[in-house]
Amino acid sequence: MSRTVLICDDAIFMRTMVGDILQQAGFEIVGEAETGVQAVEKYKLLRPDLVTMDIVMPDMGGIDAVREITKHDPSARVLMCSAMGQQALVVEAIQAGAKDFVVKPFQPSRVLEAVSRVLAA
Amino acid sequence: MNHSRYADLFRTESREHLAEIDAALLALEQRANDPVAIASQVASLFRSTHTIKGMAGAMGYVAVERLSHALETVLDAVRRNTRALDADALELLFDGSDALRHTLDATDVDGGGTITRAVQALLDRLDALSDTMTDDAHPQNAQHVARAASSVANANSAIRGDIFCDARMTDARQVDARAANAAAATPDAPPDRVVEIRLTADCQLKGVRALIVLARLQTLGTVRSMTPAQPLWQLEQFDGILGIVLQSTHTDTDIETAVRSAGDVARVSVRAVEPLVPSKASGAVARTIRMDLSRLDTLLDLVGELVITRDRLLRATDAAVEGGADRMLTRVAHETARLVSALQEEVLQVRMVPVGQVFDRFPRQVRDIARELGKDVQFTCEGRDVELDRSLLDAIGEPIVHLLRNALDHGIEDAAAREQAGKPSTGQLVLRAGRDRSSVVIQVEDDGRGIDRDAIRTRAQLQGIIDAKAGALTDDELLHILAHPGFSTASTVTSISGRGVGVDVVMTRVRALGGTLELETAHGEGSAFTIRLPVTLAIIRALLVRVDAAAYAIPAAHVIEVLEYRPGTIVTSVAGARLPWRDELLPIVRLRERFGLPFSGDETFVAVVESAGRRSALFVDALLSQHDIVVKPLDIARGSLPLFNGATVLGDGTPSLIVDVGSLC
Repeated sequence: MSRTVLICDDAIFMRTMVGDILQQAGFEIVGEAETGVQAVEKYKLLRPDLVTMDIVMPDMGGIDAVREITKHDPSARVLMCSAMGQQALVVEAIQAGAKDFVVKPFQPSRVLEAVSRVLAA
Repeated sequence: MNHSRYADLFRTESREHLAEIDAALLALEQRANDPVAIASQVASLFRSTHTIKGMAGAMGYVAVERLSHALETVLDAVRRNTRALDADALELLFDGSDALRHTLDATDVDGGGTITRAVQALLDRLDALSDTMTDDAHPQNAQHVARAASSVANANSAIRGDIFCDARMTDARQVDARAANAAAATPDAPPDRVVEIRLTADCQLKGVRALIVLARLQTLGTVRSMTPAQPLWQLEQFDGILGIVLQSTHTDTDIETAVRSAGDVARVSVRAVEPLVPSKASGAVARTIRMDLSRLDTLLDLVGELVITRDRLLRATDAAVEGGADRMLTRVAHETARLVSALQEEVLQVRMVPVGQVFDRFPRQVRDIARELGKDVQFTCEGRDVELDRSLLDAIGEPIVHLLRNALDHGIEDAAAREQAGKPSTGQLVLRAGRDRSSVVIQVEDDGRGIDRDAIRTRAQLQGIIDAKAGALTDDELLHILAHPGFSTASTVTSISGRGVGVDVVMTRVRALGGTLELETAHGEGSAFTIRLPVTLAIIRALLVRVDAAAYAIPAAHVIEVLEYRPGTIVTSVAGARLPWRDELLPIVRLRERFGLPFSGDETFVAVVESAGRRSALFVDALLSQHDIVVKPLDIARGSLPLFNGATVLGDGTPSLIVDVGSLC
């Protein structure tokens, strides 16, 4: 059975791109979220194997969402999607419980490497 | 017995022990309730006083011997739990350490034989304390310490805690680590391993990756120390090379696998920690020697001249070979050059000392200043192991004290004001050192009231230092105003600004050492001053330029680019003449003008230089070459233009001044 993923990003573009990369690698995209609040709700509902999480989103940012998700499920596997120059925020996200990160613009190989690390940990 | 030689050794070594005594006393004061830490610090205090006593006895320094003996007696009682270490006892130990320092200093003058009235008074107090203690055993305390050994394991798991607090390795935690060190000597404690990690060159956000590596290691054991310290990972310049000391029962292979699982790891090596101090009991011979610093200076001078001669030899060889001489000459010359470079490297290495040698006196000074000011401050030192050239280290102590004092005096608020501002009543003051490529970074950070930009701007405008229409100040502009020698340091400004006194002094000293000073501040949240120093100032790479008839050296570290000036490209803006370069308009600095020489139209080359994030276009007559130069300090008369911060002798024997780029940007 393929692994399930929840993609959280306020930009459709980014969701599509991440979705394509993961789908081609055999993952099943079970849900998408545009806000932190949605991300938390959908996580609870779907219990995916993996979450990709944008940092800056309306209505609760990605870092708070990670915190909420990890509080709900300490074994949650969240991969942060960061832009250049967001080092401090990524640090905060890791502290909040995210397992790894990728930096935009995405290179499919890097995304898949990070995903496999997150799932192996 | 060669008295003066032993006296030197005695002085050096006993001062090291005094520093350890101070550190241990401070640690005791901070962790008054932790029996494990107490036991380990008391043991260390006892060892240091005992060693001083032994040396003083051999030297015939009666006063030192008597004092250290009295201190040792009290400490021994504490160690054996027949005396509680209460606040009074601690205060007495502090006084004792001060008196010990004074008598040690006095040995130079009085031969160590004089027991002054003050020393006698202290001896009486110590004796009185010793007399009261035999019947006064504290069973509870005894029980605590008896349990100390078994609770070391608990202390370790306490350290493990939250990785991010852990990672900061505050003083208190280092004390824990030291306690754990004692445990490491026992056979059943998990062994320490040094894990060296190099992240891949294309690794993104290296600091975050390092954090993930750290988190993985923390699942295997206790991280005891890290180089560089974690805050430095956040810097853009972090090069992705990490050293971590891990206490773990896992195998080297497990550790390596865990590190690699964090991703973007190019190389990992895991090895056992070598014992820091070879134990005398095991008969190991210490493989170090003590050396008079002046000999090392002489050695460096000689190597410096050798470096200059090497360059001359290479030039002469090239000329000779072009003139038809045997190619063998080139081979020999290049081999000689290689050896000289290697020798230079080694000598510079020998001069490197850990900054801890200077840092270790700060906790005591900070404590005393904070007490004097009635402030509640927790002081943390990070990166004691970072190495710096001895001469730089000696010179940087004073500016650091200045910054610490400023932070305590003007930065950190008193407890009442802090609580009113919604902050914890204890202020945090952090001194950290780290390596950042070819420089050493020293930072003094407080969580005090920060600097009020608007107040500084208004005052600077009143004094005509900045334009009356200037808008909000950047951190950099703020620092330049504070460091402006003419900027008023009236107390009103100080109390508004939280800063103002002595920043110019610090700036001048740091620049004289070839370094830069940076400031970050947020009103209400605190300030951080960052000093960046070259690792060594003895030999640097420099660009040689000609202005009029003389050659000047510009440190290559500051030079971004050199270019030929195309006439007519200068633009004039409201801020004055500017040279377009890449996307910027650079301020123009004509060295002829600065040196008081007439304008000649000869200025045909430009060196784009940078210091502390500011760039300028330096106009010079000609570019000569790039060379390693040996920096000789230059004593500049006070009040003269701070254009130069050193001098050197060039390959052909002519002297040349080293331009202080910081003063031109």
